[in-house]
Amino acid sequence: MANLLEARGIEKHFGGVKAVNDVSISIEAGSIHAVIGPNGAGKTTFFNTLSGFYFPDAGTVTFDGHDVTKMINWKRIELGMSRTFQTPSIFPELSVYDNLLIGTQSQAKMAFRLAPPSATARNAMNARIDELLHFVNLTAFKDRPVAELSHGSQRLCEIAMSLAMQPKLVLLDEPMAGLAEAETERIVGVIRDLHDRLGLTVVFVEHNMRVVLGLAHRITVLDRGAMLAEGTPAEISANSVVREAYLGKEVIDHV
Amino acid sequence: MEQIAPQLFNGLILGAFYAIVAIGLSLIMNLTGTINMAHGAFLTLAGYLAFTLVSHGTSFWVALILAPLMTVAVGILVERTMIRPLYGRLPIYGLLLTFGLSLIAEEVFHLTWGANGVPFQPPAILAGTVPLGFMQFPAYRLFIAFVLIIAISALVYFLRRTKFGLQLRAAVQDSEMIAALGTNTQVLYMVNFGLGIFLAGVAGVLAAGMLGLNPTTGNALLLPAFVAVIIGGMGSLLGSIVGGLLIGVVFSMVTLYFPAFNEVSIYILMALVLMIRPRGLFGEEGLFG
Amino acid sequence: MIASNRGVVVSCLLLVVFAALPFVNIGLEISTITEVFLIGIAAMSVNLLVGYTGINAFGNAAFFGLGAYGALLSIKYFHTDFVLSIVAGVALAFLGGVVLGPFLLRRRGIYFSLLTIALGQVFYFIAYRFTDVTGGEDGMTVIRPLVGFLNYKVDDHAFYYVSLAALALALGTFWIVVRSPFGKTLQAIRQNELRVRYLGLNTDRFIFVALIVSATLAGLGGTLFGLLLSNVSPLLLDWHQSGDFVLMTVIGGAGTIWGPMIGALIFVIGKDVLSSVTPLWQIYIGALFIACVLGFPKGILGSIFAAFEARRVVPPAPSSAAQAVVVEPHG
Repeated sequence: MANLLEARGIEKHFGGVKAVNDVSISIEAGSIHAVIGPNGAGKTTFFNTLSGFYFPDAGTVTFDGHDVTKMINWKRIELGMSRTFQTPSIFPELSVYDNLLIGTQSQAKMAFRLAPPSATARNAMNARIDELLHFVNLTAFKDRPVAELSHGSQRLCEIAMSLAMQPKLVLLDEPMAGLAEAETERIVGVIRDLHDRLGLTVVFVEHNMRVVLGLAHRITVLDRGAMLAEGTPAEISANSVVREAYLGKEVIDHV
Repeated sequence: MEQIAPQLFNGLILGAFYAIVAIGLSLIMNLTGTINMAHGAFLTLAGYLAFTLVSHGTSFWVALILAPLMTVAVGILVERTMIRPLYGRLPIYGLLLTFGLSLIAEEVFHLTWGANGVPFQPPAILAGTVPLGFMQFPAYRLFIAFVLIIAISALVYFLRRTKFGLQLRAAVQDSEMIAALGTNTQVLYMVNFGLGIFLAGVAGVLAAGMLGLNPTTGNALLLPAFVAVIIGGMGSLLGSIVGGLLIGVVFSMVTLYFPAFNEVSIYILMALVLMIRPRGLFGEEGLFG
Repeated sequence: MIASNRGVVVSCLLLVVFAALPFVNIGLEISTITEVFLIGIAAMSVNLLVGYTGINAFGNAAFFGLGAYGALLSIKYFHTDFVLSIVAGVALAFLGGVVLGPFLLRRRGIYFSLLTIALGQVFYFIAYRFTDVTGGEDGMTVIRPLVGFLNYKVDDHAFYYVSLAALALALGTFWIVVRSPFGKTLQAIRQNELRVRYLGLNTDRFIFVALIVSATLAGLGGTLFGLLLSNVSPLLLDWHQSGDFVLMTVIGGAGTIWGPMIGALIFVIGKDVLSSVTPLWQIYIGALFIACVLGFPKGILGSIFAAFEARRVVPPAPSSAAQAVVVEPHG
């Protein structure tokens, strides 16, 4: 299977600090790939270079055959990438519906219009928004101000927003951070659905080892900006270097 | 052309003024995101305070230190009471507030010291010229250059070599992190502001003897200082220095050949820099540029 | 604050009331009210940027002044009639927006504000220095031209209705923009520009158009203002004037449609009254800036709307455990 996203030799430094040091990753189309590592490992910085939040100082990023290393972020989204952030990046003053509307308009190439959309177009967009809401189970909150939602629901709203662009690849930055058990399970379910039901490729950054081992097809482990290991869940949990650096010498149960 | 060398020298002195005002503005902007539209007013205040001190018998040398310190006291009062509530809010509020302050200040200066400005003579020892190599330099201007160089060097030393300076630089990068590490950011902001005002104050006292002292002296230096920050690169202190010097020189040289265009010329320079290098000479890459 | 249908109705009613004003004695001169309308339009132009798009524009006086200079220069050198002079002024302001736009797009936040101040001043200095063309510090005075094809002299009364029409035009532009997909995206940009980009949109394009619309609106206000006074001076272009416009927007309520007009009313009338009562009026204006920012940042309309929002009974969001199950929507 072809690699949808490929990064080679990515480096990023800030001042004197090398946040990301020669990291490479290959994401197969249709797979779920996790990027893990202890705090400060450079996971989010690496994500940022993949998604165009900043450009790497060295290395290349190829997405769907295109060289996107220095491509501006909004163009990457047009190509089919999408991204969520550690703190849900949503529109805090709008309702859930309006949050999704902005992206839906964009996907329908209607965002730059002064004229109101035709009834047909509006119905199509509303149908699309309903679909997205249904997928993340937020239909009941459609007209609620998004600021009133729980943290986990806001995360789901953000995932729905990133789906509005009909992406091929979804980058999720710590989607489960700060969530209670029940909400974590919801997100895990949604990630599985992204793969199983929508056929999307998912790359996510995460701390929760148990979740990662149960969910990901492949795992990349970073530590202090450098690659520690890369492989299947079985390989990673058996890897002694990883265990020492990240897990301590505990025994890990697969889910 | 014997006019070029002295004009160049004057340009550098003028540029040094712009640089010092620009650095003060930059310090405040970079750390707290506040554009201090009242910066010029603080400068003028220091000049007037020095004038009053000297008129009442204080020596110029004492006034040179005392007036800026008094101005810093005013500045810190303003910062604690009016600017602090605005940290973290939209930049527009800080702009409006400091703008309002400058309006009040201008009127207060008008009331207290008159509309037409006051004469401020530097001490006799600094009058006259000093022969240095191929030309005669006005002693007062040499003195100004000397003081400004010392001030800037002291600032650089402070920022690079002291613990406090290190905290300041770190806070510009990441205020949240620094607060989490236990630094008192409120004190940091206050000292930072005071530093900027002190520099403006010193410039104000020196400028009074060279550019004259009236209610709008400071404001006349403010706008070119903005341009200096833009040209030098927003976010960079070195840029403010270089930008200021550059503008001073350009202004002086253009005054020599096309006097009517001297003000416009620095804006043209700014437009050129923005076209070729939008982030300014030493600016950082923005997220959107 | 997305414009509502009810708001449209209220606005139309207000416009009708304004149309009837010249026939009622409310203690204000017609030309003063006209001034308020025109300054209000300029404040509305700032509101589009500050209140809706979330960009801190502190240089709109440049476009206001360009409008005035455009009209009066065209009268002085091309002897244009009333209508063509308006066209000339608005066109010059529009051009100003197009030319400055690309420079302004480079930055956001306070650095953007800095750019608007500095770039706005370019026009001030041009007007100040090109004395032969623009009259320099003293500005220009012209005789208000007739409406060409009708040979009609526009007196104070007629000018009031011209300005009212301009206000209606400005309001109409606002309604259309704010309610359109474009306008909704602008408001999204204000709340979270990064997310808009991560929804595949080039926010620079949106901001550029907002800048141009704002420049043109400010130019409309400025053009008529110059024609009203039959006079223009570089002070109209100065950043102090820009600061006044921003203050009006904030006092009245940034992000509301009528806020800037209310702010303009307070400011224009207030300044008139203050300056006739005390020579220290500048201190009071400065204090107004400070008081508004520290005590009243939402502005008049903004505070009123916020109070209504708070009063609406909102059912509390269900707990997270409950959210794990699909909840029937309740009315």
